Parts: sequence; C-alpha cells; structure tokens
Amino acid sequence: MVADNLKLDGKLAIITGAGRGLGRAMAVRLAGAGADIVAAARTVEQLEETAAEVRKLGRKCLVVPTDVSRSAAVNAMVAAAVKEFGKVDVLMNNAGAGEDAFGKTIDQISDEEWRRGIDLNLSSQFYGCRAVIPHMLKRKRGKIINVASGYGLRGGKHNYIYACSKGAVLQLTRSMALTYADYNIQTNCIVPGIFPHNERLMAFFKGGKFIPMGRGGQDADLGPLAIFLSSEASNHINGALIKIDGGGLAGGITPTGIAPRQTA
Amino acid sequence: MAFPQGLNDFSLAGKAGLVIGAEHPAGRVAAATLAEAGARLMIASQEPATDERMQEAVKAAQAAGAKAAPIIRVQNANIRADVRATIDEAVKRLGGLDVMVTVLDAPYYAPAEAGDDTIFDRVIESNLKSVWIACQEGGRAMRQRGGSIVVVSSVLAERGVPGASLYCAAKGGVANLVRALALEWARQNIRINLLEAGWMAEERSPALADDEFAANLLKYLPYKRLVQPDELAGVLLYLVSPASGFVTGEAIAIDGGLLCRV
Repeated sequence: MVADNLKLDGKLAIITGAGRGLGRAMAVRLAGAGADIVAAARTVEQLEETAAEVRKLGRKCLVVPTDVSRSAAVNAMVAAAVKEFGKVDVLMNNAGAGEDAFGKTIDQISDEEWRRGIDLNLSSQFYGCRAVIPHMLKRKRGKIINVASGYGLRGGKHNYIYACSKGAVLQLTRSMALTYADYNIQTNCIVPGIFPHNERLMAFFKGGKFIPMGRGGQDADLGPLAIFLSSEASNHINGALIKIDGGGLAGGITPTGIAPRQTA
Repeated sequence: MAFPQGLNDFSLAGKAGLVIGAEHPAGRVAAATLAEAGARLMIASQEPATDERMQEAVKAAQAAGAKAAPIIRVQNANIRADVRATIDEAVKRLGGLDVMVTVLDAPYYAPAEAGDDTIFDRVIESNLKSVWIACQEGGRAMRQRGGSIVVVSSVLAERGVPGASLYCAAKGGVANLVRALALEWARQNIRINLLEAGWMAEERSPALADDEFAANLLKYLPYKRLVQPDELAGVLLYLVSPASGFVTGEAIAIDGGLLCRV
C-alpha cells in the first residue's frame, strides 16, 4: 500500500540548513511523517527552534551546529548522527547561499567571493554525499536529496555563483545516482522555482506575477516532495530532478501568461 | 483507508477520479492508488474487448480499499464522442472530476522504412491524439473547480530509440503537449503533469523478448531490472494529490536513473 510506503517511522534524516526557511519546513514535515531529525546549520539558536518544533511532534532531534562549507565539519555532522542514531537513512543537502551575489557584474565578484559561493552551495553537497556514502553502503540503503534551483537549469543575468553551483548540483546528483544504483541508494534532486522567502526577493520577483501559476512557492509546498523522496515509495526514482516551480520551467520562450495571436 | 496525520496532503478523500486506460498495468496501479487514497472512482479502457483486464483493475481497486466498486466504461479513446461521453458520465455519477489519469499507450517498434502513412496515422492516433482528446475533454470538465491530470508516458519521450521513430515522435509530442497545456491552464487551477515510466515488466514489452535487445538492455539499466508497475504508485499519488500543489508541466521519470546515462 502506498500510504505505508510513504511513512518515515524509525528513519533518521539529516537536514542541512535546517535553522530556517525551507530547511526548517522540510525538517518539521519529515518529522511529522515519522522521521527523527539531525538538524544542521551555523546558528545554534535557530536550530533549537527547529528542534523544538520537531520534538513537539514526538520525534527526536539532534542539533549539530555545522559550517557546511568545511569538510571537517560535515564529516563531524555525519559522525554525530551515526553515533546518536546508529545510521543515516536520509541526507538532505539543503544548505546554500549565494543569492547575495545576484545582480553583481562579473568584474565585481572577487576570487574569494566566487570560491565562498561555490563552497557553500556545491562543495557542501559534495562533502555531505562523500560523508554519508560509507554508512549507506554498509546497510545497502539510503536516500540522498540535493536541493538545487531552477537557476541550475536556466541562466540569469548577472547570476554566476548561484547558477553555476546549482547547475553542478544537478550533475553531482546524476553521477551519484548512477554510481550507487546497484546499492539501493537513491540520489535525487529537488529543483525549487521561485521561493521568495523574504521581502527583498518578493520585490525582486514582483510577487510571483511571472510564474505561470501566479504565485511564488511557499515553504509548505516542499514538504510532501521531501517526504516522498525520503520514503520507500520513491525507491525506483533515481537521478531525478523534480521541479516544483508553479510551471515556470515548462515554458520560458515567451513572456508568462500571454499567448500568440490565434491563427486565422 | 484514512491517511496518517503527517500524510494528509496525499489524501484524495472526497475527490472524484477517472482512470482512462485501466486495462494497462499502469492503469490498474493508478486505479488501486486512487482508491487507496480515498477517491470515488471510475475506470475506462483505451479500447474495446478488454473486459478481463478491466475486471483485474476493479479487483485491484477493491483490494486497495475502494469504498464502492468503480464504475467501468469501455470505450475507444481515439474517438472523441466516446471519450466525451465517458467524462460526462464520470462528472454525473461521481459529482464532478478532480483527478484524471491517462494511460494511453500502443507501442509500435519498426524501422522507419517499414512504416507507411496508414501506420503513421495509427501510431499517432493511439498514442498522441488519444491523449489530446482526453486532456481537452478532461480539462473542460475541470474548468469549474480545478483539478489534476496525470499523463502516464515513457522515457521514450525524452530520448531517441532506433526502430521506434514513430513511437518516439508520439511520446515526445505528448510530453510537449503536457507542458503547453500546463502553461495554458496554470491560472485556472488545473495542473497537468507527466509520469515517464522506464522499461516496464509488462506483456509484449520488447524488454521481455528472448533476444539480443532484451538481454543487453537489462545489463544497461542502472538497477539491472525492469520497472514493476507497482513502483509507479508513489509518483502517481504525489502528482494527482494536493501534495504537488505547486507542480505543473513537470515530467517525473521512474527509471532507476536511466535518463542520467550518457
């Protein structure tokens, strides 16, 4: 039965960037479906708020302050999870940044800024995959979910760090998927469209009027997909890039919402 | 069956669902999945003379907890009047139409030079025109209160396959039909998405033949095995239900990672 396969009872999920926004929302939804959570991010106060929400649902939550751009920290995060729970069923590589560099011209981006952005968005996910694989191989099971972006598939003006790192996340996903298909480890990618989770982004994207469905994504939209990809119900889905974007990426060669004149 | 609290988004309780092509294995799984999720259900076949398989779909839906036996309608999905009558009946008897799954598939494998214009018409009709009719009529029925359409197709929509030019053309056409309809209907609260099955373990599949193609294909697949129809259930449920409320014009493959290959 599908409903039984969707349940996450007894599973352990690590979520990076779990202190706020989409990461927190997904952590809480996974807990709601039965998973225990390892919440990782830099700011411990925010993680504690996430943990409180998870515990309210009757699930365990281990808080692990982590700078995902440092491999030693990511290794320690996975080690802490294994020590506490004895396993990792799901790794959700969600932490990321780089939107700060939106709008900077190419000559305004310093070497340091470039490397920092690539480290936060891409290296972090590579470190996470590398750290959990030995544990998942031992049990011959596991789910890795990488969070990319519509900008990983399409370009944007003055959008270098974000688009490049997210595009590479798609390729990381595909290579992981093929490599570990034989070991019952599925690697998939969530590709969110426009999720304007602050005022500045809401203004930048004009409230979502360029999105076919007429609105931006909300934190709540991602939860069910996170549950599905963490569950046994998705065991034959591997290397998939699942878009959740109000239809945006289905189009793109015309302005939103306007059709060409009807042929006579 | 009631869904647990944390999985409420996947429930179809109170919704009306129609599966067209329920005689196919994927259609049977769709019928069972919709029934399990609590939808009132009608099933239709793609073509006449499918009684036995339709009965299997009924049994699967009942085993999955269908509250009432699904209403069966046998039709020819290439004929508009048949499809329209089916959808009108679904609306009437189920009290509207919230969810529609189409499994309209008639495989055709042959070298290009073996085809003629009659074969072209037949392949395009049964694989593409049938989907167009179902979506147009289904979309019309959903105009009032919105809905979700899932078109079951194949990874052939995304890649070329030698000896399958017409079939690939039809499947590719279906994929882009879905994208365009998704954009057209996005603000009418009608979502439409594509499910792309990998090589499936189903009768008459070339993947099950006793030949060089089948033997080599199995080794080539990331999981070294064919997709079982039941493995489509999770994606079907995700796409038909409110769980995917911000998803439209998307194609999700169930292929073990095959589309990642070079």
